[in-house]
Amino acid sequence: MADKPVYEEASIDGQPPKLASIPASDTTVWADASPLLQAACAGLRDGELIHGDNFNLFAAMSALEIMDPKMDSGIVCTYYSIDEAIENGAAPIPISLDSTIDVRCTIDIMDHLLACEAAWHKGHSLAQTVFSCIYLLRLDRTAPHALLHSYCRIIRATCKAVVSVVSDARTHEEEDLFTMTYGLPLNGDGDDKCLSILNAVEETISRQLRACKATSSKRRLPEDLEPLQSNPNLEEGFCKALLCRLRFRKHFFHVLSCMKRPQGRGLESARKHIASCLTELESILKSADFLRSCFDESCEGDIDDKTTASGFEPIGFDAMLNSRLSAPTPPRAIKILSWKKAVEYFVKLLHDLDVICSYSLDPHLESLLRFVVQFQKSQPDLVARSHLQLLLVQDGKLYGRDPFFAVINKAAALPEATKNHDIQKNESFLQLGMLVMNLLKILCTNAAWQRRKLGKFLQDWRVIYVQLELAFRNEYGEVSSSSNDENKCMKIFQHILLWVEEQTYWIAFRFLILGFELELYSTGEYCMVYWYLYAVLIKLTEKTHLMMAVSHDTAKRKGKKKKDSPKDLARESRIPPAVLFLQCYICLAEGLTMMLAALRNEIPVFHSPSPFNTEHEKFVQHFELLQRACIPDHVSYPSYKESTTHARFSTLAMYNYFKDAQRIAKEVKSSFSNDPERLAELRKLEQVAEHNSVAQNVICRLGALDPSLKVSFEFSHHPFFATVVVKRS
Amino acid sequence: MEAKPEEKAEIEEPEIEYVSYGGEHHLPLIMNLVDQELSEPYSIFTYRYFVYLWPQLSFLAFHKGKCVGTVVCKMGEHRNTFRGYTAMLVVIKPYRGRGIATELVTRSIRMMMESGCEEVTLEAEVTNKGALALYGRLGFIRAKRLFHYYLNGVDAFRLKLLFPPPRQVL
Repeated sequence: MADKPVYEEASIDGQPPKLASIPASDTTVWADASPLLQAACAGLRDGELIHGDNFNLFAAMSALEIMDPKMDSGIVCTYYSIDEAIENGAAPIPISLDSTIDVRCTIDIMDHLLACEAAWHKGHSLAQTVFSCIYLLRLDRTAPHALLHSYCRIIRATCKAVVSVVSDARTHEEEDLFTMTYGLPLNGDGDDKCLSILNAVEETISRQLRACKATSSKRRLPEDLEPLQSNPNLEEGFCKALLCRLRFRKHFFHVLSCMKRPQGRGLESARKHIASCLTELESILKSADFLRSCFDESCEGDIDDKTTASGFEPIGFDAMLNSRLSAPTPPRAIKILSWKKAVEYFVKLLHDLDVICSYSLDPHLESLLRFVVQFQKSQPDLVARSHLQLLLVQDGKLYGRDPFFAVINKAAALPEATKNHDIQKNESFLQLGMLVMNLLKILCTNAAWQRRKLGKFLQDWRVIYVQLELAFRNEYGEVSSSSNDENKCMKIFQHILLWVEEQTYWIAFRFLILGFELELYSTGEYCMVYWYLYAVLIKLTEKTHLMMAVSHDTAKRKGKKKKDSPKDLARESRIPPAVLFLQCYICLAEGLTMMLAALRNEIPVFHSPSPFNTEHEKFVQHFELLQRACIPDHVSYPSYKESTTHARFSTLAMYNYFKDAQRIAKEVKSSFSNDPERLAELRKLEQVAEHNSVAQNVICRLGALDPSLKVSFEFSHHPFFATVVVKRS
Repeated sequence: MEAKPEEKAEIEEPEIEYVSYGGEHHLPLIMNLVDQELSEPYSIFTYRYFVYLWPQLSFLAFHKGKCVGTVVCKMGEHRNTFRGYTAMLVVIKPYRGRGIATELVTRSIRMMMESGCEEVTLEAEVTNKGALALYGRLGFIRAKRLFHYYLNGVDAFRLKLLFPPPRQVL
């Protein structure tokens, strides 16, 4: 498209001249196809369709109607091309001949770019957000404008770095729109020098700031330095507004670079830069007052919706220029985040990254899993989650440092020496290592995707268990006396088999509770869900308890305890706190199952049959993946029915599981005094137990008698154990 | 699908007439309803795909000769399951809250069941409380949550109805 646009003269029939039409090139020529199209229209009657080998009704659905703004992403809105936009003054350099306005406009561009960047992170395409900036699309022409040029360069380099992190994580979540950069100029020559370019500009503005302060205090003659802009009253404000924006970009780029360093070596430095970013963001927010008041003209509309601190519309952006690059999505005007919301987004992102950088890289898998689960509670976005995943799994090792067999060895409470055993070369153990690696990756994805993957994953864990068990039986079917090494191998198998079971039930547990977080269960399904959760928790607790006993044995054998003191013996017979914690869960699950079953059986409105299927089909659907993997064994719809069919208010009154839960929660709190997160959860569990205990009493006493009794279930205290609310209308 | 108190049409229940897709003359009625109420852009080919291949699965609701609601569906083999799919469901605003949508969906599902479908599926925005309640009452469960499924960033639920296995004649 080298030719200049051609402006058509008014046509003969007096129609207004068209906008600059699309020029023909050396190899193309325009021809009028209207007669052909008209003939084609006349050739088919209503309801007829051309049918060919490769063209049927299904294929025809991909058709789009040209010039339909909902479907045609090729429609020219304002300009046909970037060049045309530039030639029409859409992105002037300098922005204004008045240096004060030029500086303000530059700040507006910086702010709008931040808003675009946040919109991109949140799930829109790069083409319609950050690269809606014409200056960024033709970065080289900004060279005469040092401020704009350096800022655009670092934005480009930052976007490239972020795309790289998310691509490397390769989770293929629904967010794959994020990494689409086709046709965008993301790779710039010399972008590796973006920091030094930015530093130079920062240095100049720092000197300009010093100079204007020196003038005002009349301490000494200013250097022979041109001021930033022409209004001396505004010089300090503009310098400060620019400096915090430039410094934010610099520190943010450093955060990304530091976090990229292998084996978490850059995490501490990253934290320092994160802290600087947060400081600069605060300054950026504060600069809004100055920017809004420095001109007489006020901007229209609600300031909170604006994408700039000043409230003015930024110059040099056109989201539709890239509409052809934004496909496969149909042309949609997207809403760029407001500037305030964009800053909020980055504050949250930085806090999430800080949590990652503060992590101690604990080699204990159990602690790591709890850390990841806890991290996910704050609902971190894609960029933060990708960073976590890349920290955890690098070069096929945990943190790029610990081979997964060693990790499993430790998790399965095997002696340290075993981690180098040759058995790890066994195919099944190699596969197990892969499963642990994949588990970590899955746990870093968004909750909806994560649950689907975990469900399918159960089958893999079941299969590996069966494989390992088979291998174990083949090797050590009947063992009487065996060599030392054979004993070691046997022990490895035994520990790991137990650990695999525990892990499998943990995954099943997570799969079930994520359903609450994702709102996948309707109230009528809670009974079966809590029943299944109860069944899984029983097995999980059993395996956890066994695992702890086995781990205790290993510790003893290590020589830590030569003799069992009375205190040790007492501790051994006590149930470990982690197991008590799970027992609290069990009581709550059982209590809720029975209460829901009784309500169902006694109150008609709780049992609403659907015209097309029964509870059996819903059970099959919800638990299909668990059933297929036999997790747990001997659990089925008939056994569910058997457990719940006889529940009545009278039977409910006989035993209060919630009181048990309350008691256990109270007792075990002291054991978790050093664990604030589990302590907090115990308090929540106590609250649920207390409320539900009272509710159960009310229901038992009044349930059958009072038809106005309204029972509802809210997750006001705990994310997956419902609080029962009883009201009389 | 929420009932809106203003501009409610005055109708008696038996006055709604339900009709199976009958031919080309019904197509513009369906297209107008869907274009008006739903935000997804569909070309005429999309409508034809559904109503030509599965005319028995699309239904229209009429009140005094005016088309006030429609459902458009398909069915087919999907990974070894014979499955029905509800593509579009619309009832114009003044006629909502009267069970017209439920009736349209029920008819199409019954037809799918009789045609041998093992299950029915569709997607709905997580914020569409009316649709979720409607389908929930008919026996659909929320099988999956689809993150940012819609272009406006809203998540969707994949809803699925599993039919019981056909009763064996003893």
